[in-house]
Amino acid sequence: MSESPIGRDTPQVNARAKVTGRAQYAGDIQLPGMLHAKVLRSPHPHARIRRIDTRAARALPGVKAVLTGADAPDALWGVHHKERRILAREVVRFAGEEVVAVAATSDEIARDALELVTIDYEPLPALFTPEAALAEGATGIHPGRNNVAHEIAFERGSVEAGFAQADLIHEATYTTHAQYPGYLEPMATVAQVDGHGRLQVWASTQSVFLARMRLAAALELPVSRIRVMQTTTGGGFGGKIVEDANSLIAALLALKTGQPVRLVNNRLEDFLGACSSLPERLTLKLGMTREGRIVAKEVTILADCGAYCGLTNEVMHVSAMRSDNMHRLENVRSHAVLSYTHTPPHGAFRGFGGTQMLFALNSHIDTMAEKLGLDPVAIHRLNAIQAGDTSIHGWEVGSTGLMECLDQCTEAIHWAEKRGRRDQAGRRRRGVGLAAAMHVSGNRTIGNWDGSTVVVKLNEDGRALVHSGECDMGQGAMTMLSQVIAHELTLPIEHIQVVPPDTDTSPFAIGTLASRVTMSGGHAAILAARKAKAQLLALAAELSGHAEETLTLIDGAVRLRDADNGEIVADLATLARQHIWRHGGEGLQVSATWDPQTRMHDDDLYGNIASAYSFAAQAVEVEVDTETGRVEVVESFVSDDCGKAFNPLAIHGQTNGATVQAIGWALYEQLQVEEGRIMNGNFADYTLATADAVPMLASGIVESNDPKGPYGAKGASETAILPGAAAIANAVHDAVGVRITDLPITPEKVLAALRAKEDADHA
Amino acid sequence: MSEHRIEVIINGEPVTARVPARRLLSDFLRDDLGLTGTKRGCETGICGACSVMVDGRLVKSCLSLAVQADGQPIDTIEGLADGETLHPIQECFINGGGLQCGYCTPGFVMATCALLAANPRPTTDEIRQALNGNLCRCTGYTQIVESIHHAAEKLHGN
Repeated sequence: MSESPIGRDTPQVNARAKVTGRAQYAGDIQLPGMLHAKVLRSPHPHARIRRIDTRAARALPGVKAVLTGADAPDALWGVHHKERRILAREVVRFAGEEVVAVAATSDEIARDALELVTIDYEPLPALFTPEAALAEGATGIHPGRNNVAHEIAFERGSVEAGFAQADLIHEATYTTHAQYPGYLEPMATVAQVDGHGRLQVWASTQSVFLARMRLAAALELPVSRIRVMQTTTGGGFGGKIVEDANSLIAALLALKTGQPVRLVNNRLEDFLGACSSLPERLTLKLGMTREGRIVAKEVTILADCGAYCGLTNEVMHVSAMRSDNMHRLENVRSHAVLSYTHTPPHGAFRGFGGTQMLFALNSHIDTMAEKLGLDPVAIHRLNAIQAGDTSIHGWEVGSTGLMECLDQCTEAIHWAEKRGRRDQAGRRRRGVGLAAAMHVSGNRTIGNWDGSTVVVKLNEDGRALVHSGECDMGQGAMTMLSQVIAHELTLPIEHIQVVPPDTDTSPFAIGTLASRVTMSGGHAAILAARKAKAQLLALAAELSGHAEETLTLIDGAVRLRDADNGEIVADLATLARQHIWRHGGEGLQVSATWDPQTRMHDDDLYGNIASAYSFAAQAVEVEVDTETGRVEVVESFVSDDCGKAFNPLAIHGQTNGATVQAIGWALYEQLQVEEGRIMNGNFADYTLATADAVPMLASGIVESNDPKGPYGAKGASETAILPGAAAIANAVHDAVGVRITDLPITPEKVLAALRAKEDADHA
Repeated sequence: MSEHRIEVIINGEPVTARVPARRLLSDFLRDDLGLTGTKRGCETGICGACSVMVDGRLVKSCLSLAVQADGQPIDTIEGLADGETLHPIQECFINGGGLQCGYCTPGFVMATCALLAANPRPTTDEIRQALNGNLCRCTGYTQIVESIHHAAEKLHGN
């Protein structure tokens, strides 16, 4: 009997193609007559385009198109604000903005053609910081508007009354920097117009349907004239949702040339064209009783979305309010402002605004714990929201494993023994730090629908084809869907084939964001499989004459329930064929949709937006070199409450990857932006951690079995990135007594803080 | 641009080609020969996604020219499996969770081949050091290192 894959380490179902080099990514596609595209970007953060001379480029043999803003549709694209053109027209607003696109018969010719384009720019004064952009009298970066891209303000309870009850009030400001997503596959698209005049797009994307919607709007085409197919996607981390221009430019070139066009970013172009995470300055004021109970919380955020705001309105929203739901709070106030600047745009990034605020909040709790003479773990426990609670913003917490997460972390890192080793004398000092986090599993605010549809077709050999529009970008969505269908239909997982998302054939789907795919897609898969199973049992009953309730599905066959060894009535292959070959028959095909019973928040931002909430905690041990200021993470343990681990191998993989991404953000990765220009847009100067720079990671799983999750599961790909930076900052403080509030924690900052501490100690 | 005639042996098969002097080995493999398992990730020799073996040495094919490989055997990810039978390193990356998005995987697998040829039973630290020419953004490396331990065990026993 084949065992259910649910809960077992299950290798990725598409891994074979990946290890043999046969997985096809967009940049691997080669179509007959395919052209190669290249993009010329603005070197100026703000300039007027006086004139573009493309004549020499167009005259170069092999060049098929040289497009400028004048060739692009008038439509503007964007998420909340439609404000961006496929190619800039008249004005450029950031260094890196796409100005000219070329398609040629080879990559080399396209590159040579770019060098023949001359653009006469009139540089204009640029606004590089939110402070400058929001100053009185500052010029609007977009016509007819001031530079506030978005603003959020709310108060619940009475913050004043809360602070009046507090025994300790602490206020501090934290700054968080932009992180480049750093997926190994740069953005890539192949586009062509087929013989029927339809635009076909193969893209590296997290959402084929959002991609289609955006292509339709930006190219002024009916949605039905466009087909988007997801190719194997080499990582996304939020960067491949809807905010880059790559697929729009490829599609425009295909429409203009009538030939297939491939546009693959090189790494520098990807640094310039992709959105990095949202830099925020957060001021946090907390009031606590002497026991550590939080009685008031006030948050002020100033965020910089760059030249175009994309998804950052939503990102800032998360920073401003999500962390409030982790705790039993009565009094909160938040004011957040998002500012445009003449800098490269920011956007969605794994954790989606949670990382920024949780760095501030967990640093703050650590600081206040010390002032109150408490263990920060005790403060986390005392304030933690509990299963069955409704949070201050109306979130209904059906499960939380945070207490167990804290237990696992403190035990793994030997918290009690290692915390507060004040007697260290040597050059290298060690410390431990901890942080806690919460995340959503789905999000109704995307558009008042958070559903997912799965179609199951049973082939004549009794094996299943599964259609879902939810994208696998490496996190394992296809494996998750395969596990669910295999489990429900009692088939070996090898008998399940998940078809890659394709807007022509897949059911509509929002895509991979907000940790929603296991929640919504998982539920839809369960429903679809059970529907298929019901039809199989009904057909078997009809054909065999047995009563339906005497039949069951075991090990890929319909069997008699009561028979000692489960006498087979019919196997699935036979039933699949019999489902077709009869009067009124058809291939067995079912569709099921699951939309969570969540609520769009109201005008006051109140409402249960997700069906479940995942939690995580992390403890790290760091070593600080007091002579160089270098911080090294020597041990890390992340404990993830993912509800139910369908696939521990994948959960640990997600957790480990998130952990290193968080270590990178906290310690190594920093975009150097000077006068609005990214100066280190390559992997030599923007340093991703290598295997020898990080420790072997340990992680634990807590199964809180959410009552609303599929088999109890919640999202598990984002939560683990949330606590890392604060855990490290807290460990640095534990090691050497300095508090870094300005990320990243560079050796320079640590040394400066150590010197300042020494001066203060001697004063 | 001058063109050159080169003769190489790709995954055991002799290949003769004319290439412009400036053609990178990675572009030659991918665009001229259709061996797209070798990936382009950074074009500056940092990420290692384009790693191949040239005459038994691990080479970043985005940093070498096709003409430099003239007369030498080149082994790419496509040549590693024996027909339908995967190489033990490939098996171990699959079963150990040593891959997620898969884009860096061919490079890591080739780097592992080079490592295990030189050092059949590496320690964890030796593996971590040996991989510092390859970037992965998905796995955090831990399951890659574990996969390589399993592969070493499978290939070379205890």
